[in-house]
Amino acid sequence: MFKTPGKSASQYIGIAIIGLLCISATAFAQYPGYKSVSDLAAFKKQFATESAKVQSITSDFVQNKELLALTETITSSGKFWFKRSNRVRIDYTKPFTYRMVMNGDKMLVKDDQKENRINVKSNKLFQQVNKIMIDCVQGTILDSKDFTTRIFENDKSYLLEMTPVAKTLKEFFQTIVLTVEKKDYSVRSIDMNEPAGDKTTITFSNKVLNAQVADEVFAL
Amino acid sequence: MHKWQMKYLHYSLALLLLVGCASEYKSRKPVTPDQACIEKIRPTGVNTSWYTTYIDVIGRHISGLLLIKQMPDSSRRVVFTNEAGVTFLDFQFNTDGSFQVKQVIKQLNKKAVIQTLRKDFELMLGIPFRQSITEAWLQDGEVYYGVPQKKETAYFITTPDCASLRRMELGSSRKKKVTVALWGNDLSAPDSIQVKHYTFNMVIGLKKIER
Repeated sequence: MFKTPGKSASQYIGIAIIGLLCISATAFAQYPGYKSVSDLAAFKKQFATESAKVQSITSDFVQNKELLALTETITSSGKFWFKRSNRVRIDYTKPFTYRMVMNGDKMLVKDDQKENRINVKSNKLFQQVNKIMIDCVQGTILDSKDFTTRIFENDKSYLLEMTPVAKTLKEFFQTIVLTVEKKDYSVRSIDMNEPAGDKTTITFSNKVLNAQVADEVFAL
Repeated sequence: MHKWQMKYLHYSLALLLLVGCASEYKSRKPVTPDQACIEKIRPTGVNTSWYTTYIDVIGRHISGLLLIKQMPDSSRRVVFTNEAGVTFLDFQFNTDGSFQVKQVIKQLNKKAVIQTLRKDFELMLGIPFRQSITEAWLQDGEVYYGVPQKKETAYFITTPDCASLRRMELGSSRKKKVTVALWGNDLSAPDSIQVKHYTFNMVIGLKKIER
């Protein structure tokens, strides 16, 4: 171990405290207005309980893809449906049309040209994407072994910062950040931060929880 | 098999080989390049635009969004993302003709894939036509203006009266390999673009996104 001549133990402690403060400051600077959730176990339990009460979601969404180095942003919007369990449909309607339906292990992808039906089990990447999407909406993301999670809060919302563990996911995402409403534990926004610095934010609005959603919505 | 049948088979095979090997550019006639037409029609690439895009390659279908961006230093960037925003590739085409892969996902990070897409995008961006054009040919009622590349020739093809650009094309000495067709009133920001390969089954289709 190297020791710098003349430095006392109290100086090392001082450096360590400054270091710790810097780490905390980074977290606050990253998410202004948020502080760390101290009782993680209690939050996880509460999150799972409250999320389980959500049987369906219908919502509008706006998606912003920011290409940092190119100073370009493209905004798209559409409609989102979720029905417990394992059913999600996302329709992009502006400025292009694109549909993605996840129903159990099956998936439908429809663009302007073609419809593709995919057995999620046959493709590891689709399987992971499918699982992330469902886990985020169903409130089971905190149990996922695919991510390490840090949790922050302010008066109105929780912020879940998820860092991928698996190599395949690390290639696509540096972090995925979920903002969850405290009032009903529903997801307000999803930030997907890419390793190169680009970012996609999906913000949900006009959310209706637990309304009747027909099974046909998720027809493949 | 009868002797006459064997003979017939040999003739047929020989004919097939001859047809198969015949150059698609055989009937072209050299003409003096019309410099006024070159200046008027020479493809100069696509201005900054977003396109919905599909790639059909050997039975597989991929869709997403393609950004073509003109950078302040006049280099061009081509970025392909999926609809949900995940970046698949980001290529940079510099003004000196050099090329950089800024980002590519593992599934596409293969030399053959990158080289194929590089050539396709270069043709689409009119990069081969930055050089002076000294050769032209007339074939099937169209004028071909050509620029030699390493192993191929890049062409832009016009109507005989130079009224419009028909397409861009990349060909070997014998056959065409890739065509790029543009549609729309403003060819610096076309409404749609199609890149078609002839040596294997691949089509890239782009449709401009109005924002």
